[in-house]
Parts: sequence; C-alpha cells; structure tokens
Amino acid sequence: MATLDDFRNKEFLDQITILNEISGSKNPEALPKLVELLKKPVGDTSIDYMVVNALNAVLSGNEEKVIEGLTDEHDGYRILCIRVAGEHGFKAATGSLVKVAQTEFDPDRLMEILTSLARIADTAALPIFRKHLEHNDPFIKSACIEALGKLKDETSIEHLKVMIEDSDSPERFEVCDITTWKAVEAMASFSRDDTIGFLVEKLHHTNPTVRRIITDALITIGAPSINMLFNAFESGDADSKILSANILGFVGDRSGADGLVAAFDKGLADDSNVRYAVYEALGRIGTMKGIICLVDGLSETDELILMAVIGGLEKHVNPGMISTLTKVISNDDDQSDRLSKAVVSSRAINIFDALYEVDGAGDVLMDALLQSNDPEVIEQFRALLIDIGGSRAEEDLDRLPEIATSLSKALAADDSRSMCAMHRAILTDLGFKPFMATNGEEAYEFIEQGEEFDVIITDMNMPVMDGMELVGKVRNTPGYEDVPIIMVTTESEASQQEMARKAGVTAFVTKPFNPDTLKAKIEEVTR
Amino acid sequence: MDVELAKPFIKAAIDVLSTMAFIKPEVGKPYIKKNTVAAGDVSGMVGITGDRNGSVSISFTKGCAVAIVKNMLGDEIEDIMTDVKDAVGELTNMISGQARAGLAERGLVFQGSTPTVVMGDGHTISHMTKAPIMAIPFTTSDGSFTIEFCFE
Repeated sequence: MATLDDFRNKEFLDQITILNEISGSKNPEALPKLVELLKKPVGDTSIDYMVVNALNAVLSGNEEKVIEGLTDEHDGYRILCIRVAGEHGFKAATGSLVKVAQTEFDPDRLMEILTSLARIADTAALPIFRKHLEHNDPFIKSACIEALGKLKDETSIEHLKVMIEDSDSPERFEVCDITTWKAVEAMASFSRDDTIGFLVEKLHHTNPTVRRIITDALITIGAPSINMLFNAFESGDADSKILSANILGFVGDRSGADGLVAAFDKGLADDSNVRYAVYEALGRIGTMKGIICLVDGLSETDELILMAVIGGLEKHVNPGMISTLTKVISNDDDQSDRLSKAVVSSRAINIFDALYEVDGAGDVLMDALLQSNDPEVIEQFRALLIDIGGSRAEEDLDRLPEIATSLSKALAADDSRSMCAMHRAILTDLGFKPFMATNGEEAYEFIEQGEEFDVIITDMNMPVMDGMELVGKVRNTPGYEDVPIIMVTTESEASQQEMARKAGVTAFVTKPFNPDTLKAKIEEVTR
Repeated sequence: MDVELAKPFIKAAIDVLSTMAFIKPEVGKPYIKKNTVAAGDVSGMVGITGDRNGSVSISFTKGCAVAIVKNMLGDEIEDIMTDVKDAVGELTNMISGQARAGLAERGLVFQGSTPTVVMGDGHTISHMTKAPIMAIPFTTSDGSFTIEFCFE
C-alpha cells in the first residue's frame, strides 16, 4: 500500500503516484495524513489539488467522517466535507448540514451548504430552504426555490405565487429576475390543478420573457395543463383564447384538439384572430376531429385564415380531404380562386401533388401558380413537377416563368408560418425580393450581414426578440434611420402602439387585414 | 442546478480580475435575458461540454477592457487593439479554467473550448440555445461588464 509517511520529502513523481493510488484504492487509513496535508498544504498547486481529489475519494466511502468534518474548525476541510456530502448524497448528513446552515451567515459558505442539501434532497431540509426564500443574495434565493420545487414542497406554493405576482408589479416587471424564472419552474414542477391554473392565469404577465418562460413551462407540463387551458379559452378574452390555443397546439395532445373543436362549435372562435390560432393549433395536433374542422374551414373567405387552414391540412393529407378539396377547387368561383392561391402561397406541396392529376383542380392550381411572382415558390413547385413527371407535367414546366430576382428587397418577421407565407406572397406580388424571419433576432441578422431593405414588416409579439426591440435596434443601425417599418398588431395591442411609434415604427396594420390593405400600406410608405 | 453552475464562474471572474487586473468588480442583480444576444465592445466566449453543454460569454465595455489592459501591462502597451484582444482572451481562459476546477471539486466535470474573442463597438453574439440565458451584470469604476450563461 502506498504510504504517506514522510510525504513532504518525497520526489514530485512519487508524490503523484502515491496520491493517485489512494484516489483509486480509497483506503480509509490514509485519511488522517491526507487531512493534515490539506490543512498544511505542500505548496505545489498540482499536488495540493490532488490531495483534495484523494480526500474526496477516501471520504466518499466514509459517511461518518464526513459528518464529523462538517463542523471541523478548518475552513477548507469543512467545505470539502460539505461538498462530498452533497456529491455522494449522504442522507445521514442532512441533520448536521441543516444545523450548520442555521448559524452560517457568510453567503458563499451558506450557498455551499444549501447546494449540498439540495443534492441530497432530503425533506428534512425543507425548513432551511423555506427560511432562505427571501435571502438578499439572488443566488441563494434561487437555489432555495429550485430545491423546494425539486422536493415538491406544497407548503411553499403560496410563497412562490406571491413571488411571481410581485414580479409583475409596475416597478419590477421590466426585468425578469432569475428568481422569477426559478419560481415559475418550481411552480411548474407541482403539476397540481391550482398551480397550473395559476400559471395559465399568468400567461398575460407584463414581461415578455416571463411570458415565454411560462409558455414553455406549460408546454413541458403537457397534457395535465389542458383542462386549465380550456378554462382560459372559454372564459378569457380574445388574447387569452389565442395564447391558450397556441399552447394547446404545441402540447399536441388529442384531447386538446377535441376540446378546441368543441369550443369552435360552441361559437367561441368567432373572432377571426382566435379562429386563425385554433386552425393553426388543429393543424399541429392533427386528430380526425381536428382535420374535419379544418376541412370545414375551407369555406373561410379571409386569405390569412385560409392559409392557416391549408397549412394545417398540408401536414395530414388524406383521401377524404382531397376529395372535398377537389370539389371546392374545381368549382371555378371566387372561393376556388382563394383556395388555389392559398395552396400556392403556403407552398402546400403535398396538397398540390394530390390534386394535380385530378381533372379541373390541377388546372386551377396551375393558374394560381402561374400568377405567383415569387421565385422561391416557382422553384419549389418546379421541383415538384419534375418529380411528378409525365407529359402533362413537362408541358406545365415549360409554362413556368423565369422570374428575374428583383432589386428591391423587403424584410418580414413573424413567428406564425401562415403569416410569413402571406407576407411573402404580398411582397413578391409587389415585386420585392422577400427575406423572411421567424423572430426579431433572425430578422436583425439579415441587417447585420449587410443586406439593405426598402421596407420592413414585423409582428409585435415574437419569441426570442420581439418586434419592439427589433425596431429599436434597426433604428440604431446606421443607414436604417429612415427605412419604413410597418408593424402588424392585433386590436388588443393598440395600447402599445404609442410605445412602438416612439421606437420608430412608420405605420401600423391591424390584424386581421386583407392583403390589399397591407399592399396599399407598403406602397404608401415606400413611395 | 443552473444557479449552482453559475456561482463558480462569478467567483472566478472576481478572483481573476482582482488578482490579474487589480479591478474590484461589484456584482449586480442577475436576470434572465430577453433575447439570446450578448452585447458589448469586447467579448470573450467559451463553449462548455460535459455533464451539461452550454456557453459562457464575458462582454466588456470599451472603457472597462482598456482599464484592465492598462492595469495588467502598465506602460508597456504597444498596440492597444492587440493587447486588449490578448488580455480578454487570457482572462476568459483563466476564468473558465478556475470555474471548471471549482465545479470539478463538486463532482461536476466540464471541458472548456479555447476562448474566442470578438471585438467591435456594440457587437452582438448569439448563444445557440432554447434555454433561458442568465446574465450577471458587474460594475467597476471604469465601466461595466456582463457574464452570460446558458446551459441546455
């Protein structure tokens, strides 16, 4: 066995070998001498570091000694024991650690103790976590919140609620503290009706970051949150309905789709923005009932809503749906025009493919495609026609126009796929080369890369970077002081328009709108 | 867990800056960032892999970066741009190393990439992550800097 006798006088290489051997064998007999080496270090950084490692290894099999060490007078050894207790989850150490924590006032050492207790995860430590829930140090506070969530301490639920409520107060909502983040996560770990209900209620938090964290938390909770989301959908205003429908779509549970269809039938989705959100959600989930509802949606006349319907159906093409689509598209009326346009603009390749060989429908779709000015759309369908093959496809391929890339460029940012498709269609119609982004950050990347735009269209609420921040950044970019920016908002966001105007928005378009309204607005600001 | 990971980096930043550059930074209130973009004039970044993966960046304002270099090199500054780049790279490396050593003592083993330094007034860096990004603001008498973390 390696011996630590006369260790200090040994050669460097021997010292390393001995310490390595002890780390491997974890021989408890080495403990007293190792402790002595820790308390009076050799002075060589690497050796001293190895002493710590060897001690950690020996202590990992010696719970009693670790507990004894928790009250050792030597700071370094005490901290080491605290860490070892946590790392190896020594439950027997809980009592002593809690006791030490009671009288520890140094924030760094207190944090060490609390971290170890959190790792041991013994409910006996609950009181000490609760005690420090309002500690001045945000890290200690967060560690306690995290631990209470992990231990599912129901006693703390009310406290956590108050924390989240407070974070929404006028003097605090501008910043999302790490404690708020942790409180939302801890709250989400309970998965009780009241905690989920509380989070759903807080979906309207004034701070967009907190809103996003709550949304993500509810999506992670998944199915158990569905009932609460329905309550919000049924009793809330249009905004609540939209937010709940979005989350239900992302959760992707069948019962979510069934409930949305039921709500739809009850007339709860009369508002066109709500209907749009419901169709998008149904498209994401894709149950039979949902698809039937989407098929019914084919009679919608609003272009944007039709794109949500087509976009949803595109993911779940089936023979029944195709036969209905064939009927309505072959009708040769205004609705068939709108639908075929929606298929082309939302680049519904699967639907196009299924309808192409059908008499009547294929011609209507080709007509719509030939009207498109969007080079990317043309290219995508060109590839599809090549895939389909045959004499008819070859003839149609010859009819496809070669579109020269236009010189004016436009940037559009929106997190909804259908809205993006619509912007793209409008912009190409007007002869712009469109650049699309699903959030403000992606949009700003184009600008950073040196692209120059003649007009920018942005949504207000987007993940990662919202429209307001994008506008602020754009206006602060040299050369972008006067580029027209159009912001698309919902009626309920009207109150924020003044703030957006100050940030530098040139004009607003309120959802829902028809494409001509936005076209006219673009022409007005780029004139 | 996240908080536990962040703390050693903060401690390392304070230790390294006060020993190497004689600057005593004051820690501000940590918060969650609205976006994934780090903004500053000079930034050092390291990628972290191991028990969890993520990235850590330290972004300095110009004034703060220059003060650090002056304190580290005294009158021997030759080319301020190169020296700032070197110094920030070196500091980032030391902070990352010391923090990882601290984490290793708690049984959390991480590897750090070699640091990357980005310079340019008001530049931005994106953390590629979906997880929330924790930002810890620091103030010094010569300007501010921010440490940002994100772990998957």
